[in-house]
Amino acid sequence: MFLLQLRSELAKLFGKKRTYIGFGAFLLSQNVMLLAFRYSNWEKGTARLLEGNGYVATEFISTLTVAVLMLIPQILLLMPLYVMLVGGDLVAKEAEDGTLRMILSRPISRFRLLFTKWLTGVIFAAILVVSLGAMALFFARCWFEWKGMFIFIPIPGGQPIFNVMSAGEGLKYYALAHVLLAVNACTMLSLAFMFSCFNMKPAAATILALSFLFLSVVMEGMPFFEDWKEFALTHHFRAWILVFAKPMPLAQIAEALCVLAGVNVTAFVIGATHFHMRDIKS
Amino acid sequence: MIQLRGVSKQFGKRWAVRELDLSVPRGEIFGLLGHNGAGKSTAIGMMLGQVWPTTGELRICGHDITRDRAKALHRVGAIFETPVFYDYLSGWKNLQILSHYTAPTPPERIKKIVEWVGLTGREHDKVSKYSHGMRTRLALAQALLPDPELLILDEPSDGLDPEGIHEMRLTIQRLQKELGLTILLSSHLLNEVELLCTRIAVLNQGKKVFEGTLADAKQTKQWVRLKVGDFAKATVSLQSEKLITDTRNGSLVALADGVKIDALIRRLVAQDIPVFEVAQEEETLESFYLNLMQDSRAKPQELKS
Repeated sequence: MFLLQLRSELAKLFGKKRTYIGFGAFLLSQNVMLLAFRYSNWEKGTARLLEGNGYVATEFISTLTVAVLMLIPQILLLMPLYVMLVGGDLVAKEAEDGTLRMILSRPISRFRLLFTKWLTGVIFAAILVVSLGAMALFFARCWFEWKGMFIFIPIPGGQPIFNVMSAGEGLKYYALAHVLLAVNACTMLSLAFMFSCFNMKPAAATILALSFLFLSVVMEGMPFFEDWKEFALTHHFRAWILVFAKPMPLAQIAEALCVLAGVNVTAFVIGATHFHMRDIKS
Repeated sequence: MIQLRGVSKQFGKRWAVRELDLSVPRGEIFGLLGHNGAGKSTAIGMMLGQVWPTTGELRICGHDITRDRAKALHRVGAIFETPVFYDYLSGWKNLQILSHYTAPTPPERIKKIVEWVGLTGREHDKVSKYSHGMRTRLALAQALLPDPELLILDEPSDGLDPEGIHEMRLTIQRLQKELGLTILLSSHLLNEVELLCTRIAVLNQGKKVFEGTLADAKQTKQWVRLKVGDFAKATVSLQSEKLITDTRNGSLVALADGVKIDALIRRLVAQDIPVFEVAQEEETLESFYLNLMQDSRAKPQELKS
């Protein structure tokens, strides 16, 4: 029965055109970025950085290197927007349209309904991240050769991640990074989902969740909060970058995963508690 | 099938429903009447476990809705005033999705229900292409999917044209006759309620002001139309003799228990008041309802003064 309900929720989510906006936006932006990398000074700058560190640039300007370069701005800007757009819709849109009232005239418990909806959102977030990674690899492969991977990611207030590795090793870490990115996406979705459980418009839930992230980024960047930066959610979102560090800081990654899991559970519990107490009216 | 005892609901400082007692027996079409904001939808929301009662007990199909929601709603279907669906999906897919929130429903059952409501041939079209009447039929189909014993209809004829209203009325009658369902019908349309319901309850400002059969509603007072030379003088005289209990609209008088029309005429003639016309007035649900509303508005004012 639970699987049937999950299937129904997935059918509702993936039956809507707006669910695919994120996929379309990724597709477009990745191709724009590839063109920018190819035909601007971006490629030359990357080559200079490699050569300055004693590596042969042609060996490392590859599919994997470019795929990761393309990912960074999309993860910072597009992923939160599209994941939270769907997360904010999950409950609030149904309440706004009136379909929630129809569902709740049936013998399903509110908690079960919410859990099914949340799980649907998690599946969407995971699919979006996997598609993002796969599309980045596919389009980068169309333009660049399959060779070694070069990683250079500056971290605000910390040591930049600099690493070179073979294509096989790089693909392994690329896949692992996407697992952590999926956890980030789930956390973003849970935040928007939590606001969506309150009596508000879907857009308001998305905006509140985005504002929460924005506040976290701003606080993390302020020197005054230097000692408390670990309380900022966005600080823990960087775990996916740490996968590429040499040696890999496993303890830091595990800590980030625990914090994110805690945020997910907390957001769900707050949302579910409020939703349980709420009166559902037309 | 439905039992409400001392049910109240407060939103902020406002009481939407106050001390509501209601009992709907099996197999009946029960009408819930009241103006906008009288508390009908809140009461229905509480019956379906969508609105939490502030006080009181609600039992649906023998189960406490607040404690045992799943059992209480297992064989309950509901339709709300404006039927809303997932417009981007087909009618069939909508029915499939909604059935999954109750119990797995075989396609044969969905097909049967689609046939019953008269949507065959259009069930695979997107709901966005449906007319209001078709949406209402789909709403009825989704309500019938769990093989209900109890059907709760909140303004089912809202937005329908006269033909649609007629069709809905026939469908409700069919539902009761063919499937033996108990139906709670909330409506503004007094004519519909009069034609369909056996018992009614009237809500005003969250309080129940009447509950009984339609016959009870029509026989609360025996009204007589009186055309006389001086209506005011006539009513004062009749009231002093305790022949009438009430007056309305400057032409109607309510006979006291056991009083017959001839006693009225004798008194008026004795008082030398010219009588031009005396006729028994048929009480309709509409006149009863309007009078009830007038009375319940007057009562708080009397208390204030």
